[in-house]
Amino acid sequence: MVDEKQLRDAVKKTVSRDDVKYVVGYKNGTYGFQVTPVFAFSLEDADKFIFSPLCVNNLAVYPMLEEKLPLRKGEEEDTRKIGLVVKGCDSRAIVQIIQEKGLKREDVVLIGIPCTGVIDPKKINAKFPHQTKTVDVKEDGEKFVIKVNGTTHKIPKDELLFEKCKHCENPNPVIYDILIGKEVKTSKKENYEDIKSLEKKSLEEKWDYWKKQFEKCIRCYACRDACPMCYCKECMVDQLSPQWIRRSVNLSENTAWHLMRAFHLAGRCIGCGECERACPMDIPLTKLNKKIEKDIKEMFDYTPGIDAEEKPLLAMFKPDDPEEFIL
Amino acid sequence: MDRLILPKNKMSEFINAIKTKYQVFAPVENDGVTLFKQIKDSSEVNLDFSNSKVPPKALLFKQTETLFKFTPGTKGKIDPVDIPNEKTVIFGIRPCDAKSLTILDHVFKNDFEDPYYLTKRENTVLVGLSCNQPDVNCFCTSFDDGPASAEHVDILLTDIGDKYYVEVKSDKGKQLAKTVDKLLRPASENDGEKKKEVEKKAADIITRHQKTDGIVDKLDKIFDNPFWKNIAVKCLGCGTCTYLCPTCHCFDIQDETTMAKGARIRVWDSCMRPEYTLQASGYNPRPTRMNRVRNRVYHKYSYYPKNYDIIACVGCGRCIDNCPTNIDIIDVVTKAGEVKA
Amino acid sequence: MKNPYQPRLATIDDIREEVGGQRAIKTFRLKFQDKDIQKDFNFLPGQCAMVSLFGTGECFFAISSSPTQKGHIEVSVMKLGKVTSALHECEPGDVVGVRGPYGNSFDVNGWQSKNLIFIGGGIGQAPLRSLINYVVDNRKKYGKLDVIYGARSSKDLSYKQEFAEMEKRKDVNVHLSIDVEEDGWKKFVGFVPTNLLRVKPSPKNAIAVTCGPPIMIKFVIQNLEKLGFTEDQIFTTLEMRMKCGIGKCGRCNIGNLYVCKDGPVFSYKQLKNIQGER
Repeated sequence: MVDEKQLRDAVKKTVSRDDVKYVVGYKNGTYGFQVTPVFAFSLEDADKFIFSPLCVNNLAVYPMLEEKLPLRKGEEEDTRKIGLVVKGCDSRAIVQIIQEKGLKREDVVLIGIPCTGVIDPKKINAKFPHQTKTVDVKEDGEKFVIKVNGTTHKIPKDELLFEKCKHCENPNPVIYDILIGKEVKTSKKENYEDIKSLEKKSLEEKWDYWKKQFEKCIRCYACRDACPMCYCKECMVDQLSPQWIRRSVNLSENTAWHLMRAFHLAGRCIGCGECERACPMDIPLTKLNKKIEKDIKEMFDYTPGIDAEEKPLLAMFKPDDPEEFIL
Repeated sequence: MDRLILPKNKMSEFINAIKTKYQVFAPVENDGVTLFKQIKDSSEVNLDFSNSKVPPKALLFKQTETLFKFTPGTKGKIDPVDIPNEKTVIFGIRPCDAKSLTILDHVFKNDFEDPYYLTKRENTVLVGLSCNQPDVNCFCTSFDDGPASAEHVDILLTDIGDKYYVEVKSDKGKQLAKTVDKLLRPASENDGEKKKEVEKKAADIITRHQKTDGIVDKLDKIFDNPFWKNIAVKCLGCGTCTYLCPTCHCFDIQDETTMAKGARIRVWDSCMRPEYTLQASGYNPRPTRMNRVRNRVYHKYSYYPKNYDIIACVGCGRCIDNCPTNIDIIDVVTKAGEVKA
Repeated sequence: MKNPYQPRLATIDDIREEVGGQRAIKTFRLKFQDKDIQKDFNFLPGQCAMVSLFGTGECFFAISSSPTQKGHIEVSVMKLGKVTSALHECEPGDVVGVRGPYGNSFDVNGWQSKNLIFIGGGIGQAPLRSLINYVVDNRKKYGKLDVIYGARSSKDLSYKQEFAEMEKRKDVNVHLSIDVEEDGWKKFVGFVPTNLLRVKPSPKNAIAVTCGPPIMIKFVIQNLEKLGFTEDQIFTTLEMRMKCGIGKCGRCNIGNLYVCKDGPVFSYKQLKNIQGER
């Protein structure tokens, strides 16, 4: 359980710094189990901040969304820092962006939260549908305590947690300026069970599985826009000369889009699952990224987003890299 | 208006009978997501849904539409395409989505008639299905509408227990009713009362309301208010709201070619994308998310009403359900009404 | 039902290079393949056409020839993006698609017997050229005519030959300018808004129309107001990114007006009152 007062004090301390533009965190949403990002520009805004197992958003997407407009005469660039509330997986996204030099370490002030897992909104909405009033969710050991319509329910965590949280190896932020509370201990390990079972299927079975999924895609690009690692100024799918992927929405182009995006994230995806959460058509996108993550781990023994000083995997070369096809 | 009854156990026959004369699109469960698809048999239809993920406007205003084909280059050979004009039924469309088609008609009919949309529209019969159980973010009642409104459909079916109350409105509806008249019988006064009860019960389930009184004038006053920056700062620009909105109609036109063949296609586009208004000179009149979010809200609640006298929102709630950062249009517009001008 | 998305075929009859270099400008003379379509293509100055290069795309251009020139239409194209660059590679005899005419026009009927001042800069002169030639071809119907036009350098001036002809006429006052001093240039040196102040046209019974880069329009309108012009005496044309040209794709809106349908001609009074980014 996160001490919200400690969190708010940390936010107040950060937002009152002269060199901080604003701090991004979570606050209660407009209905039911919703939690929404909140931007604190002043001390009063800090009181809205919360942290609960419903805080699923990856706020690391915001520093790269800042629009840099042309400066007017006499105007100077605003180089103040951005404060962020980050869980374990979110902090890895920041580390990965720093590795790629998308951000400098000094551009962000991180308020780290040791995370005990977040709830999958689809699962909790299926269990308690039709909630218009904001619902409170607390933790009690291995259970979630949820008060709905006057009744208190105690649900085992495993029933509601995001799949990614069940195997999370980095619940504590790997990088932070202020830590709220104590680090959590974890013995969870990523075993890629779901990927292994997909790998065992035949080529026809695998194609049938993905064909059904890609046919659903409406190319809204929510997966790309929710992903903190997709911050290219011009995405390859928007390029017209040359046009890599056509704008027509059909199985062929949709497949090209998803596979190309997965490859662009190879060695960079930190497994936050925002793509799958944002997808309106329930396409299991994390499976694609996890397969590549598994391959990268096996081939290069590399985990993205752990050490900000490290060089990004596919942008560096070591003499002992396995490249049997060359030597 | 004809008022009839269809017993529930005759629903299968009803759909199969219509299918002999029309091609039928109905809600189909598709791996956890309900979509309107063409059905081959009534068993594919799933009426146990609150609303489809992608609105049925996608059947008339297709996501990818070939406008015409051509030979690429400067020889000047165009091959027009045939615009499909089969008699179609959209079965199970909700009153809000049916209203959205009436709203979209204005855009596709004005000045230049759009044959791709209008041909399909003329040949489509809407068989609506009232909502007995509106979802958490439904707010059609904020627009003087209701979950059992027959205003914009040709036939409306309302589940009143062990039977459906059938209201046949238009000529198209009457034509369709003829093909299934053996399955229908006249409704009684009691049935009519039951329908009103169901309607009221459904309307009472809707608790989220959006205040839209005087919104057009209010929006005129707060265009430059910093309120919009606070709303838009958490927007990711993902465009999910625009793709799932039943009244959004923005599109892109592209030429897609292989070496020897080409086609000009029309695809859905989103005003939330930065490149939407990017000019070749590099100038972009809407460079930030604040501009784009504000433009979207104004388009629905100010510009459309100014041009066509109707707010371009039907209260289906899809944008609220699917926004990854909980930007809530009910909240935004209600707050816009309260902001000090 | 007619299909407004399907273009009519037109052959490029003639290409004239106006300006060379990096931001080259060429004027294309287009003749519809079907003579009846050419005859029935009625438009007024200010209206535009969508010109397609099949396989590359479409662009919205102001028709720069006057409707009094029968048998063809002309568009002046600056090489800037994908479609315009491909157009610049075309040769006479190539076939393109044309849709139109779209948009509203200058109020040539309402402006009869008024004094007209046309202020253009760079490629902005294209819609004005249609208007100027229309007025010249119907000269008696209008009052005084002042044409103020400028570009960066003498090489960047478009329609050089036509201006040379116009300067010879006694019933048109031509005021050309370039931004920076040049050998051999004897006319005014300075920005177009400054030239406007020097010409000092009277606002009495007058209409001013200006087209050009946004920064030039801003200062021209400022100076026109200094000279005493009111907001309904000042007109301009706007541009936005466009795709359908018929007010359906939603892209080119300024507030509740669509530049392709309710524009591109707007009065300054209208512009002041619409809220919306432009």
